[in-house]
Amino acid sequence: MTYEVPRKFPTTVVGSYPKLPPAKEALRRLRKGLASEEEVRPLFEEAIKGVVEDQLWAGIDIISDGEQTREDMVVYFAERVKGYMPGEWVKIFDNVYFRKPIIYDRVEWTRPLTVQDWLTATRYSKGRPVKGILTGPYTMVEWSFDLYYKDRYEAIIALAREIRKEIEALVEAGAKYIQVDEPALSTRPWREEAEIAGEALKILFNGIEAKKIVHICFGRVEEILPYILDYPVDQFDLEFKNSNFRLLPYLKEYGYNKELGYGVIDVHNTQVESVEEILRDIERLMNLGILPPEKVYVDPDCGLKRLPRDVARMKLRNMAEAARIAREQW
Amino acid sequence: MIVWGMVLGGYPRSRLARYALRDAERGSIPYLELHKRIALASAEIIGAQKAAGLPVVVDGMVDWHDIFRPFIRSWRNVSVNGLLRYFDNNFFYRIPVFTGEPDIIEPVWPQRVREYSLLADPATLKVVLPGPLTLAKMSEHPGFRDEEIADLVANLLSREVSLVQEYGVYVQIDEPILSDRKATRDDATLAVDLASKILGPVSDRGIFAVYFDFPSKQVLEKLLEVKARYLMLDIEDSPARARENAVPLTGHVPVVGIVDGRRIHTDRLSDTTVSIVKALAEETDEVVVTTTTWMDLIPYRYALKKTSILGEIVRELASRVGGEVRTLWR
Ligand SMILES: [Zn+2]
Repeated sequence: MTYEVPRKFPTTVVGSYPKLPPAKEALRRLRKGLASEEEVRPLFEEAIKGVVEDQLWAGIDIISDGEQTREDMVVYFAERVKGYMPGEWVKIFDNVYFRKPIIYDRVEWTRPLTVQDWLTATRYSKGRPVKGILTGPYTMVEWSFDLYYKDRYEAIIALAREIRKEIEALVEAGAKYIQVDEPALSTRPWREEAEIAGEALKILFNGIEAKKIVHICFGRVEEILPYILDYPVDQFDLEFKNSNFRLLPYLKEYGYNKELGYGVIDVHNTQVESVEEILRDIERLMNLGILPPEKVYVDPDCGLKRLPRDVARMKLRNMAEAARIAREQW
Repeated sequence: MIVWGMVLGGYPRSRLARYALRDAERGSIPYLELHKRIALASAEIIGAQKAAGLPVVVDGMVDWHDIFRPFIRSWRNVSVNGLLRYFDNNFFYRIPVFTGEPDIIEPVWPQRVREYSLLADPATLKVVLPGPLTLAKMSEHPGFRDEEIADLVANLLSREVSLVQEYGVYVQIDEPILSDRKATRDDATLAVDLASKILGPVSDRGIFAVYFDFPSKQVLEKLLEVKARYLMLDIEDSPARARENAVPLTGHVPVVGIVDGRRIHTDRLSDTTVSIVKALAEETDEVVVTTTTWMDLIPYRYALKKTSILGEIVRELASRVGGEVRTLWR
């Protein structure tokens, strides 16, 4: 089965989706040590199937597995890459904590970590492409403790070399879209940081035959933007809605001309954006006259995991409908 | 040259403190029980600092969810909203929202000072206050300009100081926002004016702290005017910037952030660090070693370890600069 992704305004997602009940149950059993990954696999498969069905119902063109097996975007990989050990509790907000992982030895990728979920999603996707989605090396290092490498640069480059193996495995499995998430990059929007992340991306993507995407969100993206435009990627996927499209004039100012993942859905707000509202927001971008509709991928600001499932579904549905109408307009 | 040490600010929560807050949130323990457990957790933290020979100690502020919260909760016309990233940390604070002129319902520090000064003895307790500029810039205050809110906040903080000054405590004002690379000379002027007003009555024991990065030259120049005997700068977060921008802190005792408060490796005193300290301390015969930032974002065990490391770095620095150590016990 093949599916024709629309040429203009294809719709997509950033990655995570609310955890469906079977995934919640599976994660609970894993956390309590009541079951092995193999034993809970059917629960995860059921959850991924549900996530895919929601996205098909909403009319999304390029979908994701909803990151149902990942409790946290950094911890999931840290627990599975050699050289990492589980950390101790560190505050994330209020009285809520996460186990911040520790790099204690040379990092080493030993097996594919996301391919199985990608294959499961692909099995139910009725031909629609599924994005391969990974946490980038810059964010992995920023949100871990490091007791092994000489400095951050060395750690980031070492992780990039290992994460590349996951990208190769995804591409070999058939992934046509690879997205690397680097939310930490917007927290230090300085040239020297952008350069480190850029080096890492070269290692990740050099010679990879797939659509290469980097997702950055929530922070001072406008400050980092001028330093990242020459990254070896096809597309930046950025948050716009939550920051009230503050970033738009900067795209024009810096002569942005790559493909753009255009975030038009606020993932921190349960109010569902109407079709008209999303259309107006698409119009804002188009009125700048900097990108043709073929280069605009319509999607939410970030992962949807914190929203109730019904809200996430409706947001995606309205988004897809708005993109459909926009295609007639531009 | 006299060299001594103190921890900059808050500690992470031990298991005891985490569970106490959790139980209190669930309503399963009465307020007095929470208070008792938090006091026990704080006593352990104070004890660790005394064991490391630190003449000035913090209570750890383990009951504070973030630096603003206890104040926001005890002021009229302010509430908290959603979460926002706190500087470049993977930690989120709740955004204060001012709906009118704030006023004190119940001061934060007097009761703490009464209780913890006794535990601290013979060490001296340090009171930590959020800087008015940082709070103004990191909060929402429709209808007020940043300067107006900063000014109102400064008035309330002055009252906190007037209520605790008879206890002989040290008082520290944290203005981490001045380390931001976008911070202007005007920002520094405002922060310095307000801090001088707040610390005026206790300026001999007053500390003005800027951390998360080393400030720019133009900001640092302005900081020299603050009416506080002690001026704290974060060296280790960016030694290259510190080396480039360091000047003699004329009229102040340098408080140098050397022990990395956000990472867990065992700190060593490098030649670069020693030369930066010498540059800052060129015109003084006293220097204070501290942590680069608060230690609340590393696991508890490491914060205790860093406390002893701080004691050792004090001794090492003293020997490197041919100085004399001042510890709690002699
Ligand atoms: Zn995101």
